[in-house]
Parts: sequence; C-alpha cells; structure tokens
Amino acid sequence: MNDLAIKITTLVKTYGELVAVDRLDFEVKRGECFGLLGPNGAGKTTTMKIIYGKAEADQIPDTSIDVFGFHPHRDALTIKAFSGIVPQQDNLDSNLNVTDNLLVYSRFYGMNKREALKRIAELLDFMELQEKAQVKIGELSGGMQRRLTIARALINKPRLLILDEPTTGLDPQVRHLIWNKIRELREMGVTVLLTTHYMEEAFQICDRIIIMDKGKKILEGLPHQLLSSHLESFVMVIYGVSDETLNGSILTDGNGIRYESYQDTWYAYSNFPERLSALAESLNISHYHVRQSNLEDLFLKVTGRGLNELQ
Amino acid sequence: MNYSNDYRPPSLRQRIVSVWYRHERVYNSNFISNAFPPFLEPLILLGGLGIGFGAYIQTMGSMNYILFLASGIIVTSSMYTAAFECTYGTFIRLEFDKVYDGMLGAPLSPHNLIVGEILFAGTKGWLFSMAVLVVTWLTGIISYPGSVIASLVGFICGIMFGTLSMWITSFVKNINHFNFYFTGLLSPMFFFSGAVFPLENLPTGMQWAAEAIPLTHVVRMARAFCVPDQLGWYLMTDLGYCTVFIMITGWLAIRGLKKRMID
Repeated sequence: MNDLAIKITTLVKTYGELVAVDRLDFEVKRGECFGLLGPNGAGKTTTMKIIYGKAEADQIPDTSIDVFGFHPHRDALTIKAFSGIVPQQDNLDSNLNVTDNLLVYSRFYGMNKREALKRIAELLDFMELQEKAQVKIGELSGGMQRRLTIARALINKPRLLILDEPTTGLDPQVRHLIWNKIRELREMGVTVLLTTHYMEEAFQICDRIIIMDKGKKILEGLPHQLLSSHLESFVMVIYGVSDETLNGSILTDGNGIRYESYQDTWYAYSNFPERLSALAESLNISHYHVRQSNLEDLFLKVTGRGLNELQ
Repeated sequence: MNYSNDYRPPSLRQRIVSVWYRHERVYNSNFISNAFPPFLEPLILLGGLGIGFGAYIQTMGSMNYILFLASGIIVTSSMYTAAFECTYGTFIRLEFDKVYDGMLGAPLSPHNLIVGEILFAGTKGWLFSMAVLVVTWLTGIISYPGSVIASLVGFICGIMFGTLSMWITSFVKNINHFNFYFTGLLSPMFFFSGAVFPLENLPTGMQWAAEAIPLTHVVRMARAFCVPDQLGWYLMTDLGYCTVFIMITGWLAIRGLKKRMID
C-alpha cells in the first residue's frame, strides 16, 4: 500500500439518471504521472473532483477511495492541504495583480506573509512569470493565466498535483513549457494526476494512462504499449472517395489491411506501410497520406468516431 | 525549489479569516470606487428626504424629523450593502467567475467559505453604518456620544441580511430573479421598518407585520443608541430576534449553498 498514492475501487457517481462514473477502478503509484483520457463527458473531471472532495461519490458498499491513506469524504481538508488543484477553468481574481492573487491563496494554507512572498518569488520564477509580478490578471494572456493557476496550485509544495486539462486551448510553446514543468515536478517526487483529451499530451508526460468512455475504463497501460498492442503501426487516410468506388475492390482485399470509414474519409490500417501505398496506387487514388498511427487513432478506435450527446 | 510538504489544514479560525481576507483584498482593490458611495448615499437620502419633507414635518413622534430619519438609515444602508454582496456578489462568484471552485481547491470547506463571506457582509454593514454616522456627526444631526455603538448594530444587520441573502442565493438559478428579492422584499422592508416613519400609528395588523421583519429590530436598536433616553431592557427582545434569525437563515444558507458547491 505504501507505494500507492491513490487507490480507487468501484467508484460510481450518478447525477439523476446520468451515470457519470461507472464502477471505475484504478491505482496511481507515488511519484508517477497518471493520465485520465477520454472524450468530453467520459467522467474524467468528476473522478478528479471526487478525489479532492469537490464532488461526492455515490454511497455504495463496494466503493473505496484512498488518497495517501485519507478518504475525501472524511478528510477533504487534509487531502487538499497536501495537494495542488488546477481546475479546468482558470478562476483567478481578476481585480488583483499576480502577486496578490498568490498571496490571498497562500492565506488559505495558513502561510504567513514572509514565507508566502518567498515562495511566490520562487514560483513566478519556476513558471517564468517573474516579470508579471505586479500585473493585473486582465492583462495576462491565456497562457500566462494558465501558468499562474498552476503556480497557485504549487504554493503549498504539494505531494499530489491534480490538473484538469492543463493545456486545453493553449499554443504549442506554452504547452511544451507546461509539459516540461510537469516533468520537472515529477522528478522532484510529486505525484501527478491529469485529465486530457490530447493524446500527444498523454504520450509526452504520462507514465501510465487509462482511457475512459461513458464513465467506464476501456484501456489501461503505458502509452506506447497500448498503442502497439491495440493498433497497427501505420495508417493511410483517404479523403473524398465515395463508398461505391472503394467497396467491392478493397473491402474484399484482406492482405493484412484493416479498414474503417467515417463520413467521407477512409482509414486503412496495417503494419506494412508499403502495402498501404501499393493499395493506393492500385486504386488510382491521388489524395492519400500514409503515417504512423498514434494514440489519437487508438482513442478514436476505442471511444468511437461519432459524437456523443455531451460533445 | 526544495520540496517537502508536511502541511496540515490551518485552524478553523485561520480558514474563516483567510476567506474574509480574500474579500477584503478584492474590495479594497477598487478603493476609490468603493469608498465614496457609503458617504454619498446618506447625503442623498438626508438631503432629499430631509430637506424636502423636513420643510413640512418638523417633528416625528417625540423627536426632530431629521434626527428620526438619520437614526433610521444607519442600518438601511447596511442592509442594502450586505444584501448586494450576498446575492449578486455571491452568485457571480459561484456561477460566473467560479471563484469558489478555485477556493475549494485549497484546504477550505464550503462551510468555511460561507461563514467567512457572511462575516465580510457584516464588516461591510459596519463600514456603511459608520459612514452614515460620520455624515450625521459632521452635519451635526447626531451628537449623542453613544451613537458610535449604533455601528455595531450595523454589523449585526449586515450579518442578518448576509445570511438571509445567501439563503435566497442558494436556490436562485437566474441572476435576474434577485429583482424580486430587492423590490418585493427589501424595498417594503425599508418603508415598514420604522426607518422613515414611526410604526405606532399603523393599523394593528401592519404593526405585527412590521415586527415580523428583521429590519425593524435593527432600526429600533440603532436609533436607541443615537437619541437620548431610549435605551432599555426592551432592546433585548430585538437582540434575541436577531440572534434567532441569524441562526435559522444561516443554517438554511449553509445547507443550501453546500449543495451547489459540492457536486
């Protein structure tokens, strides 16, 4: 038990008729970066909120939740005292400047002003915001506000960092900066739990991931292992070709190739890229593109290509 | 960065004070625009009603009309500021700015948030009644030395309307619905609390209705500290009413808002 940060067994959360989390199990080891992946409405955020007591799990006898030996229902304050929370939406106090935002937040942890100011200087340095110390929130870009929200979550030197979609809507430079910082924190021994729907993000920073859909766990493992064991290595994407042209000809053609179609796009998967291009040429298709398959393909394979009612 | 965390949650007192401190920082960040209205309001009321009505009415019951009015509006401004803070203010923090989502990531419980916020409403109530008192002292309307204690009644009034307003906020789904509360409940309270005219000559039924509303009791207490020869043990009934009112609406506010803060 001692090497586990979080252990969740048979977690259920319903909102009226809607089952947000459906008998979910997972474990997070101490010091690892663990990712919850899934489309909107998969239950990722709800699961995180339950861990720090912002949401309450349904009370059923099989459920057990353990966060560093504490239960969110009984010890929410203790869990929050050693955790840092980055909610999906930045909710900084827009009337206050950067330093005052962090100063106000440090008081929630009972820090005195002197130690808080020292810590704030360190954090602004760490998140590369040192020049913005006296700037009002309204004048910060989206990426800076996100970095500040992360800095705010680090004010108490958390053992557990919980990030809900840390880089959604940010430009590539900021995303890479945030990924680097999360890696650095993990190296300092911080356990990281994050949600994302960017496969790239999971691949870049997560040690282990689970893919969720409709409140259930669908897959669990190391990002690259999941990829190699559930999906062919290459994919060819064919656009704008009607089903009639392709039907008959290729669907009967086995040859180590698997097909999927969505709207007017065809996906042909195979471990042999040359077979894919040979296929394209034999069909006289000019608009095609062969690439390595990625987690996004896996994600779409297991959660479906169509939209659910919450997307 | 060196890394160690053996933090425990701060004490209950520290947690509540930290919430209060957050509101104080945000309020004072707009010091200029927040510092004037409390002084302007009583000037407008005393100027408008006092000069206008004052020309026709010299005495109200046993006292000078301007003194009657001034001692009445010490708590009405406190009522309005606390009500605004804990309806529109609370609703915006809850639904639009998601301030509570951020605060609940820190070691604070919904209970701490609500109590801290109500205490801040009380503080604003105190501040606004203080501003009215300053205006009445400077204009020479109130000179009774005990009148500074009336600002404490303003604090009680702020707490009372803080708890009531937060309870209302706990079940309001659309911010425009607060209009009903302000025009339907607070405006009649303003007129039928004894703040602008005495209740003695109202029909018996209306007198009972006036005794049932919270503002009447704080108006009576505040006035007793501003004019000579009004202090007495009878005020304990009013204080008792306030205590019970705060406990009941406070409990309802905590129960209702907790449900909206925790999914």
